[in-house]
Amino acid sequence: MSELVKVQVTVNGTRYEHTVEPRMLLVDFIRHELGLTGTHVGCEHGVCGTCTILLDGKPVRSCLLFAPQANGHEIRTIEGLGTMDNLHPIQEAFREAHGLQCGFCTPGVIMSVLPFVEQNANPTEEEVREALDGNLCRCTGYQNIVQAVQLASEMVASRKAEAR
Amino acid sequence: MAGKYLGQRLKRNEDPRLLTGQALFVDDVQLPGMLHAAFLRSDYAHAWIKSIDPSAARQHPGVVAVYTAADLGKIWKPGPLNVPPPSGIPGVVFNQRTQVPMAKDKVRHQGEAVAVVIAESRYIAEDAAAEIVVDYEPLEAVIDLEKALGEGSPLLYEDLGTNLASFVHQENGSYAEAAARADLIVKTHIVMERGTAAALENRGYVASWDNKSQSLTMWATTQGPIALRNGLATILGLSEHQIRVIAPFVGGGFGPKILLYQPEEIVVSWASLQLGRPVKWIEDRQENFGDTSQERRQIHEAEMALTRDGKILGVKDVFIHDTGAYNSYALTIPLNTQTHTTGPYKVANYLTEYRVVFTNRILVTPLRGAGRTYGTFVMERLMDKAAKRLGMDRTEIRRMNMIQPDEFPYKTGIVGQDFAKNVLDSGNYPAALDKAKEMIGYEAFLKEEQPRLRAEGKHVGLGISFFTEGSGVGPYEGARITVEASGKVNLSTGVGTQGQGHFTSFAQVAAEQLGVDPKNIFVTTGDTEAFHWGAGTFASRGATVAGSAVNAAALLVRQKILKMASKILEAPEEELELADGMVRVADIPSRCISLAELAVKANPSRGAVEPGTEPGLEATAYFGPPYGATAYGCCAMIVEVDPDTFNARIQRLVMAHDCGTVLNPMILEGQIHGGVGLGLGNSFFEKLEMDDNGQLQNASFMDYLIPRASDLPPIEIAHLHTPSPLNPLGIKGVGEAGAIPIPPAFVQAVEDALPEYNLEISEAPLSPNRLFQIVQAAKQA
Amino acid sequence: MKLEGDYLFNGPREEVWAMVRDPEVLASCLPGTQSLKQISPNEYEGGIYVRIGPVSGSFAGRLTVSNEVPPESCTLTVEGKGAAGFAKGVGNVFLEAQAPDKTLLKYTGEFNIGGKLAAIGQRLIESVGKSMINKGFETLDKTLQARMAGKTPN
Ligand code: FES
Ligand code: FES
Repeated sequence: MSELVKVQVTVNGTRYEHTVEPRMLLVDFIRHELGLTGTHVGCEHGVCGTCTILLDGKPVRSCLLFAPQANGHEIRTIEGLGTMDNLHPIQEAFREAHGLQCGFCTPGVIMSVLPFVEQNANPTEEEVREALDGNLCRCTGYQNIVQAVQLASEMVASRKAEAR
Repeated sequence: MAGKYLGQRLKRNEDPRLLTGQALFVDDVQLPGMLHAAFLRSDYAHAWIKSIDPSAARQHPGVVAVYTAADLGKIWKPGPLNVPPPSGIPGVVFNQRTQVPMAKDKVRHQGEAVAVVIAESRYIAEDAAAEIVVDYEPLEAVIDLEKALGEGSPLLYEDLGTNLASFVHQENGSYAEAAARADLIVKTHIVMERGTAAALENRGYVASWDNKSQSLTMWATTQGPIALRNGLATILGLSEHQIRVIAPFVGGGFGPKILLYQPEEIVVSWASLQLGRPVKWIEDRQENFGDTSQERRQIHEAEMALTRDGKILGVKDVFIHDTGAYNSYALTIPLNTQTHTTGPYKVANYLTEYRVVFTNRILVTPLRGAGRTYGTFVMERLMDKAAKRLGMDRTEIRRMNMIQPDEFPYKTGIVGQDFAKNVLDSGNYPAALDKAKEMIGYEAFLKEEQPRLRAEGKHVGLGISFFTEGSGVGPYEGARITVEASGKVNLSTGVGTQGQGHFTSFAQVAAEQLGVDPKNIFVTTGDTEAFHWGAGTFASRGATVAGSAVNAAALLVRQKILKMASKILEAPEEELELADGMVRVADIPSRCISLAELAVKANPSRGAVEPGTEPGLEATAYFGPPYGATAYGCCAMIVEVDPDTFNARIQRLVMAHDCGTVLNPMILEGQIHGGVGLGLGNSFFEKLEMDDNGQLQNASFMDYLIPRASDLPPIEIAHLHTPSPLNPLGIKGVGEAGAIPIPPAFVQAVEDALPEYNLEISEAPLSPNRLFQIVQAAKQA
Repeated sequence: MKLEGDYLFNGPREEVWAMVRDPEVLASCLPGTQSLKQISPNEYEGGIYVRIGPVSGSFAGRLTVSNEVPPESCTLTVEGKGAAGFAKGVGNVFLEAQAPDKTLLKYTGEFNIGGKLAAIGQRLIESVGKSMINKGFETLDKTLQARMAGKTPN
């Protein structure tokens, strides 16, 4: 077994320091070391997008990184958005538009499109479908996910407007 | 029958948990002292196992145990059948060969487990598994369905002397007689290929044996938790009450997760018993391609006899069905094919016959659509061919052969997956056809738009296809409903849920009877400790059968409530109403009592009760339909083919659909959307590429393509409502609807888009590559 | 899967033949070879490390030479297996003297792969296989030049 290495990350605002094998995947680190099991694994080879998290604000596939590669970085996972009683607008939009069925792909979908939603107040259907192309969903036929993303864009934009 | 809650577009109760990452899936289960399993799987599709040497793996630091078939002792035996072969069909041949926990002398498909390593981490377990040395003597693989039955083919089971797993022949009327007086006979040779369910969550099990309580808890990605518990008890020699199976949130089922007694279920639970520690196994994606059951490989020789004006006299369909290396799920799929081929049409003379073949591939069990897809494909292709030959409009020939609304119940005389002679219960087929035509703009497209687009050099075609979906089959399901002293309602049922929204739709059914906000109804599904009678979630039966049981239980609780309240409020039951968690006298709303108070009174802690009183506002009820309810629909689409790349894009897709009473239209539409997604995959994207040696060539999402967001069109849905007479709510299933009509509509549209080649496509799935080849062949012909 | 190709060596046919039949030379030329030892006049055993896209691993294998017609042609049978799968191939090698110091090596072969190698590496295997063979030939040719110049390269 190889020597253990220290990994220090900030996840959803909390600092963690763990000592792990250098080959540990980041997704396993998040799920099993930190116990944040909202991030899922669907393919382990970078195609399905279920494991998507935000690394320094950008969506990345946590199954394609080793935990030590995240050392010193800032991570956001699905647990860092809203809570059950107080959903984040994007979560609310997915609920409203029935953008999830089994919900397995959902955390990855949401983390993938969150930056898109924040930057596009009024995206077209085509733009949304393109933004979703890196995430597989087997339940919804994507139709309601597309609608959820459009709704989320509107909701986020109007919140921003209110805040101003 | 829309009500205050029933039939409403209510947001789902389960969503907040799923959306915040708080929903528990099997891989989220973490237990102290938990060990991890990794299986060593065969690289060969067919080989004798000469020896297995696990010694190096056993020495590997962190490894707790390594087991092979030989270590399993008397646990090692072929598992029980999931479904028996049908009774009531004379002359059925069924050679039973069910899955084994791990291969012993012979491996029969690539990916079959030969050994398991249990270690402190999954990483270690996989490292050690790679150190196990297996000496194989490779054999020629049986892959080709026709060759498998030929002279001199290698055999999967030497003792059987044949690769024939089954033979079934059914006939209603006489096809020979119909053919003799036909004006026209059209024939076709149809080939459909295997795909995989590809639920985004792979399979997984966590088993935890507790020595102190002498009980086993198992979290499983199963669609049939109760049957799994009962089967495991027998296999492991425990009492059913020593085992609790929990199917928590499951990340998509689509069929393969209903298969019971899978090798990993048995090995993981047995290992936990041996080691006295929790053991977890989570399938990875590549394993999934080789160890999770698949579907959709049949070869049909079919023909249809017609009169000159287009009336069907008879249909004959003779086909071969690939069951893979085992037939644990018996004949559900090909029986579904037999009952769905004639679909919505009146076929007085119908001969259907099949042979099931063992091949060196992973076993075949139902996958969303489950046999119905091939039958529909065959029939709709025959209809298209007949229409062309007779110069008739393709929708006209369909309409004139349809069962009419006043002809229900309509008996086809063919025995189906529930072993009952198939009866179509209700519907208005012509109305669905008209609706789909109207939605897609059939006449206008063909007369105006298509000629215009063709003049612009565009290759755009229309496809339209009808289907039926036998659903909601027995035997039965049950539900228990309790109104608690808190005023909240507890509802448990035996079916598991994999995204179908049962936490909401079942709550809506109960809410309607009890006058309680569905938000206050807590639904438990898939936990054998909460409810332990039932069969499982398959054949689009969750909403229909379990939903009806929920309704029956809610009615019983309602009666209890009314009876008690009538005494307390001193008003006759007929004058009482249930709303907002209260019972009140309809005319005098101030005379009321809350369900919470009633629940307290129904469970007194002192004093005497009347003889025969049952405590609590609780009831359990079961529901079993006499036979399955048949939903149906019509799908139409517009497809554009790029003549350079042969990529085909669906521009519009409409579906007119009837599944009787709708519990929640939002959930219903979602089911159709998902089915369409899979149907499109089965039409154009998804094919498992297998070489002659039984080596899968595309075992990853890089090479096996499932549709992405930009591959799918927006889906327009219209609902028709013909309540089923088979259950009090009038529900029919919808789970597989989307998947069934897509392949035939798609190929018809592709043909229509490329009229210059006069194509006759008789296979699914296509791909741009395959379409190119078909067009090249047509050019040469 | 079929493999086919040729390579022009800058040396006489006998020299090329001698090299092809020298396990030590072969071992030093085939990329990834970890060991190769002769176990009988016509059989070799060894290990090779292969990486094809996302799949990599060590393979243990056996190479058999048959139908030998020195210095013209022979048949090579390779069988190997490892944690990442297995491979089995049969190839025919022909040496054609085109000039006193030019030898054309032609090969045709067929081989089957299985396991992870086939399942995941399928798309890449042909190009990886070809490039391994070509790299091998290049090194072989360099060795040949060096030998003819009377010294061995490092
Ligand atoms: S699990 Fe990371 S992309 Fe699929
Ligand atoms: S909701 Fe099930 S995979 Fe997307």
